[in-house]
Amino acid sequence: MMAGEMRKSALMAVDEINSSDAYDFAFAPRLRDPGGVVAGYHTACAELIREEQVDHIVGCYTSASRKQVIPIVERTDRLLWHPARYEGFESSDNVIYVGAAPNQHVVPLVKHMLDHISGDVFCIGSNYIWTWEMNRVIREIVTSAGGRVLAERLLELGETAVDHIVKEVIDRKPPAVFNTLVGESSYAFMRALHTAATRAGLTVPMLSCSLCEPELKLIGPAASVGCVTSSAYFESIAGAENGAFVGRWKARHGADSNPSVDGQSTYVCVMLLARAIRRAGSVEIAAVRRAAANHRYDSPQGPVWVDPDNNHCFLTPRLALSVPGSQFEIFWQADAPVRPDPYLSNLDLTAIGRHAEKSNEEMTKRSHHLRVVK
Amino acid sequence: MTKSSPFSVRGRHALMVMRDEREISIVRRQLNRLGMTISEHDPAEPPPGEAVDVIVMDADSIPIKSDLAAAWKAGAPIIALIGTETPSRLKWLLELQPASFLIKPLRSAGLYTALVVAFDAAQRKMDDAAYVERLEDRIRSRRVIFAAVLQIMRSHGLSETDAFTLVRQTAMRHRTTIEQLSAEIIAVGGMPNRTTRTA
Repeated sequence: MMAGEMRKSALMAVDEINSSDAYDFAFAPRLRDPGGVVAGYHTACAELIREEQVDHIVGCYTSASRKQVIPIVERTDRLLWHPARYEGFESSDNVIYVGAAPNQHVVPLVKHMLDHISGDVFCIGSNYIWTWEMNRVIREIVTSAGGRVLAERLLELGETAVDHIVKEVIDRKPPAVFNTLVGESSYAFMRALHTAATRAGLTVPMLSCSLCEPELKLIGPAASVGCVTSSAYFESIAGAENGAFVGRWKARHGADSNPSVDGQSTYVCVMLLARAIRRAGSVEIAAVRRAAANHRYDSPQGPVWVDPDNNHCFLTPRLALSVPGSQFEIFWQADAPVRPDPYLSNLDLTAIGRHAEKSNEEMTKRSHHLRVVK
Repeated sequence: MTKSSPFSVRGRHALMVMRDEREISIVRRQLNRLGMTISEHDPAEPPPGEAVDVIVMDADSIPIKSDLAAAWKAGAPIIALIGTETPSRLKWLLELQPASFLIKPLRSAGLYTALVVAFDAAQRKMDDAAYVERLEDRIRSRRVIFAAVLQIMRSHGLSETDAFTLVRQTAMRHRTTIEQLSAEIIAVGGMPNRTTRTA
């Protein structure tokens, strides 16, 4: 589903640029759809470069597909504009990372959890790199703050048999569930957990750093409500830029259609590219990269610009609660766009630990018999 | 001393011993991104005295027929940047016992892995050295224990097993090690005459 959302958004941005007087050039999109088959990304990208003479490539949702494409764009010196949030620990000169880095998605969410929900957490995710690295970050922050990872449960990608994990969650009643499942597994889990929790008369707080509006709709009106979600973009962001963007989106895709963080981010990729080409007066890679650096764009998600130190973007982390109507209610956002830290080298665990001390004390009172004191 | 995780590289000090400007700029950028402190050093010069946490060394930049290799050895862990894979160059490199390596041309990916492997290897090497030292201590003290047991066998008319049991139990009662008590037995020519010991 995300690939379709991203393509729709990219083409919307291309049409806007091609019909705008502000740009004296037009984009001629060349589309390829490897359909999520990882090996297909290498071939598709090589074809785009060799046969279509493409200089700039926008796309790749999963890390597995991006890692297929990077060796080619590095060897042929092209630029990949990557829209999706990812787990970090990468910094290629031939990639502009427009999605959130880990300090912009998972770190604020774990901090919020420690301060306001629980020091202990039950982790469930998909058996691949995104979850593995998210779980490592969660464990590092949570344990340094004196909390515990109660469990790490993994499902194979696409697996929808979730009953055993739902049963475990209902039996153990964890104070928080961190959901890093992707796609159908996540939807199945949220539906099944909602049904089981309702039957048991339980409320299980859930956290996610990937849920988006179109997914809420897929999950369903009841099960999709109440998930604390971290993202750089929500449809409900206030402000003229986003209001106009949502209006154009609905005019183009239908009133009951919703933009998503990854779609919006793909739109931002194309806009950042167009603005950099205009500024550089060239499509040449080095010139475009230089022109994109520190060049602020007031996007639907707010001000965004490329940090030339690591080719990731300054952007504004936000936390929201999923509410009825397949929407998010934003309850926190960073005061200003946050510098990307793809290697989490500025993550100060002692500061987070101290920060969480007070709430941990409160939690200690609540579950004293469970606490391990180190 | 708390062991630092090999994954946290921020604040650690890297020495770049490199020649090629393009490669220097790639490594410098990546080290900066990781929040490390950087010094640079001319490969043609002998190693500096300055203590660093890791050395990133262009293996091709130092002549094989020079005495410099030995001088670099036994310092901080070395990450070798390898262009030439001839056995003569690799043989020279093995002398340096590199902790990890990267193949040129360099990319932004790979250096973090090389650093983590190097820091982990260095930590393991230190742990192993400490373990070997403990084992060597114990081997050295075996002779002392054996001499003490012989002494007790003679003076108390005991079998070897009983003499060792007596030494062991006495050491436990005195809250000391078998090695320490054995040294005292040899020093005073018999079981030291004392009732209790607190430290």
